[in-house]
Amino acid sequence: MKLVFKSLVAAATMAVISTGAQAQEAASLQDLLEQVKQNRVSEARINEEREAEFRSERADKQALLQKAQSELQAEQDRGDRLQQQFSDNETTLNEKSSELEQATGTLGEMFGVVRQAASEAYGRVSTSIVSAQYPDRDDFLAEMSEESKGLPNIQELEDLWFALQTEMTQGGQVDRFTTEVVNLDGGSSEQEVVRVGTFNLVGADGYLSYDAENDVVQPLGRQPEGFLVSSAEEMAEATSGTVAFYADPSQGAILGLLKEKATWSERYHAGGAVGYTITVMLIIGLLIGIYKLVTLGITGSKIKSQLKNPGNPSSGNPLGRILKVYQENKHSDAENLELKLDEAILRELPSIESGINVIKIFAAIAPLLGLLGTVLGMIATFQTITLFGTGDPRLMAGSISMALVTTAQGIIAALPLILTHSIVASRSKSIIHILDEQTAGIIAAHTEAEKA
Amino acid sequence: MNSLIGLWESVREFIATGGDVLYFVAAALFLMWVLMIERYWYITAVFPKVKKDIITRWDARSDTTSWYAHRIREAWISEASDNLDARMLIIRTLVAMCPLIGLLGTVTGMISVFETMATQGTSNARLMASGISMATIPTMAGMVAALSGLFISSRLEAKAKLAREGLVDSLPHH
Repeated sequence: MKLVFKSLVAAATMAVISTGAQAQEAASLQDLLEQVKQNRVSEARINEEREAEFRSERADKQALLQKAQSELQAEQDRGDRLQQQFSDNETTLNEKSSELEQATGTLGEMFGVVRQAASEAYGRVSTSIVSAQYPDRDDFLAEMSEESKGLPNIQELEDLWFALQTEMTQGGQVDRFTTEVVNLDGGSSEQEVVRVGTFNLVGADGYLSYDAENDVVQPLGRQPEGFLVSSAEEMAEATSGTVAFYADPSQGAILGLLKEKATWSERYHAGGAVGYTITVMLIIGLLIGIYKLVTLGITGSKIKSQLKNPGNPSSGNPLGRILKVYQENKHSDAENLELKLDEAILRELPSIESGINVIKIFAAIAPLLGLLGTVLGMIATFQTITLFGTGDPRLMAGSISMALVTTAQGIIAALPLILTHSIVASRSKSIIHILDEQTAGIIAAHTEAEKA
Repeated sequence: MNSLIGLWESVREFIATGGDVLYFVAAALFLMWVLMIERYWYITAVFPKVKKDIITRWDARSDTTSWYAHRIREAWISEASDNLDARMLIIRTLVAMCPLIGLLGTVTGMISVFETMATQGTSNARLMASGISMATIPTMAGMVAALSGLFISSRLEAKAKLAREGLVDSLPHH
C-alpha cells in the first residue's frame, strides 16, 4: 500500500513538472488536488492567450505574403524592362558597328594587314640575333599581333614601322656590342660580341648562338671545324677593313647541324675495344717496321763498305762474318768450303728476316679485326631492332655507323702496314740476295784477284 | 687554256663528290706510275748497257768453267736481277693497295650516309646521296687505278724476267 502511494506521488510530481507549472511542495493529497485544479485554470488561460497570439500573427503573415507578391511583380516588371533595354542596346550596337564598318571602309582591310605584318614581324624579331643587341623589342609586337579587336593607333603603327626598319637596317650591318654570355658550364660573363647582320654572332672563342626563348647569348655546344672558327676569331678581332668570314646564311641552322656531326675523336672511340686493339697493332707494326728499316739500313751500309774491302772482313756485319768463315777454311776443298759458307749464311738469315712476318700478319689481321667489329656492331643493331623495332631509322643508324667505323679502322691500319712490309721485305730481300747468292762470287773474285 | 681550266674544274668536282679518300688513291696511283715509269726506263734504257758490260767482262775471262767462274757468274746474274727486280714488290703492293683504299672510301662514305640517317632520318634522300657518291666514286677510282697498274706491272715483270734470261743465256761457258 505504501509502495502504491509512493509511486502515485512520484507520478503526480512528474505530471506537475511536465506541465511546466511551478513545483510546489504538496503538503498533502488535498493540497495536491487543489494545486492541480488551480493549474488547470491557469493552463486554460495560457492556451487562450496563445490562441489569440496565433490569430494576430496570422493576420501579419497575410500582410507579409501580400508584400512579397507585390515585390515579385515589381522585379518581373523590371526584368521585362531590362530585357527590352538589352535588345534595344543590341540593336544600337549593331547599328553602331555597321556605322563603324562604313566609317572604316577600306581601312579595315589595312588593319588586318597590319596585324598580319605585326605577327610576322614578331616571329622574325623574337628569334633574330638583333634582339640580343636590342632586347625587349618583341613585347609590343606580340600584343599587337594577338589583339584580335581594337584598332592600332598611330603610335603603334609607327612602332611597327620602326621595328621593321630596325631589323632591316641592322640586317645589313656588322656591329659590335657588349652583352652577357651564358657559358656552357652555367656561369656568365660580359663579353664583346660581333654581330654579322642577322646571320651570326661571333665571340672571342668562335661562334655564339642566341637562345630566343630565354633571351640569352651562349657559345655553340660544339664549334665547327678549325678553319671556320679561326675565320670567326679573325672576324671578332678585326676592327676595320674587309675580313673573309664563313657566315651561316641559315641564321644558325647549319651551325646547329654541324654541332650534331661526330668529331674525329668521337668516331675513333666509337670503334670500342676492337678499335683500340687495331690501333695497338698498327703502332706495334709500325714500330717494328721502323726498327727493321733502321737496322737493315745499318746492316746494308756495312755490307756495302765490306763489299769494297773483301780482303779485310770485320765481324760487325753478316757479310764480314761469312768472309771470315772463308778465311778460316781457305785451304779446304770447294765442296767443303761451300758447305761451311751455306752454314754461315743460314746463321745470318734469321736476324735479318725476324719481325718482317709479324708486320705481314698484323697487316692481314687488322682488316679481319675490323670485320669482327662490323659483325659486333651489326649484332648490336639487331638487338636494337629486337627491342625497339624498325620504326626509327635513327636508332639503328647509330650502331650501324659504329660498325662501319671499325672496318674503316681496320683498313686504315692495314694500308700503312702493307706498305711498310713491302718496303722492309724488299730491303731484306736484297741483303739476303747479297749474302745467299753473291757471297761465293765475291769470295771467288777476291781469290782470283789475290792469285793474279 | 680554257679547256685546261675546265678540266681542272671537272677534276675538282670529281674529288669534291668523291671525298678526301680520292687524294689517297691519287697519291698511290702517282707513286705507282712514277715507279713503273722508272722501271720501264731502267729495263729499256739502262739495263742493256749493264748487260753489255757484264757480257764483255765475262767474255774477257779466260777461265769460265772452274768453281770460281761459276760462283762469279752467279753473283753477277744475281746482282743484275736484283737491280731488275728492285721496287717491283712495292709496285705490286701499290697495285694491291688501290682497291683497298677504294674500299676505305666505301666505308667512310657509308659512315657518312648512316650519320646523315642518324641525325636527319631517312626522309631526305638527297642528303644521303652525297654520302653514297662518296662511297662509290673512290671504289671505282681505286679499281681503275689498280687495273691501270695491274697490266703494266705484269708486263714489266715479264720484261724483267725476259731480260734476266737473256743475260743468263748470253753468259756461256766457253
